[in-house]
Amino acid sequence: MGGPTWVTAVNLVIWTGIFLYLLRLERRVNDLERDR
Amino acid sequence: MRRLAAWLLWLWMAAVIVAAFHWAPLAKDFLGQSSRILFFHVPMAWVSFVAFMTAGVASLRFLAGRRDARRDRSAAAAIEIGLVFALLATVTGAIWARIMWNSWWNWDPRQASIVVAMLFYAAYLALRTAITDREARARLCAAYATLGLIVAPFFYFVLPRLGFSLHPDAVINLRGKVDVEPKMLTVLVASSAGFTALFFWVHRLRTRLADAEERLLEGVE
Repeated sequence: MGGPTWVTAVNLVIWTGIFLYLLRLERRVNDLERDR
Repeated sequence: MRRLAAWLLWLWMAAVIVAAFHWAPLAKDFLGQSSRILFFHVPMAWVSFVAFMTAGVASLRFLAGRRDARRDRSAAAAIEIGLVFALLATVTGAIWARIMWNSWWNWDPRQASIVVAMLFYAAYLALRTAITDREARARLCAAYATLGLIVAPFFYFVLPRLGFSLHPDAVINLRGKVDVEPKMLTVLVASSAGFTALFFWVHRLRTRLADAEERLLEGVE
């Protein structure tokens, strides 16, 4: 895998990780507000 | 609906990443692939500015309105996130400077001005931790962050243009025209829009968490 393709793959993995973390956080905050 | 918007944002940013590395051409006069970092560096600096302005507006509304504590928490959240993005912009800028100028740090006016802006907002967080009385803390911090409505534009847009700078100024320049290749500009604008949407999502989440924390503290007291 060449330079830019490798960097693209790493960036996509980082972005997907941040995105999934934020989705999980959103779900938890929703649950927290519902339990109040 | 909100979940759909989140997935659309994922798709948007994934497309931006692919376009930044495979669709946009390389900038002339830049070494190797170094110009591609600008598709992330510029939007990060932009989002830090948006965050500091958001904090200023929330603080102004706090002072002018009913002194709603949620606006104080919203301002604090915006500054926390703004500092993270400003730090990321500084780090990506230093990586680029190392490639182009063979030095991580050059005391270029733009490098120095974003650091001063970060110190200004780091002092806001220090101020928050220094005052225990909630009402006094909210009032003083709001006054400080409102001052940022003048300070941040000065450090981001005025000070870097007062003297000589090595920093490229292709998008916002004194010549009054955009000197960027159209494909590069498309990716830059798309990336800035995506990062801005990401900021407002994270900001909303952080504010809601701060609200929940406040309710918890009220329950304990």
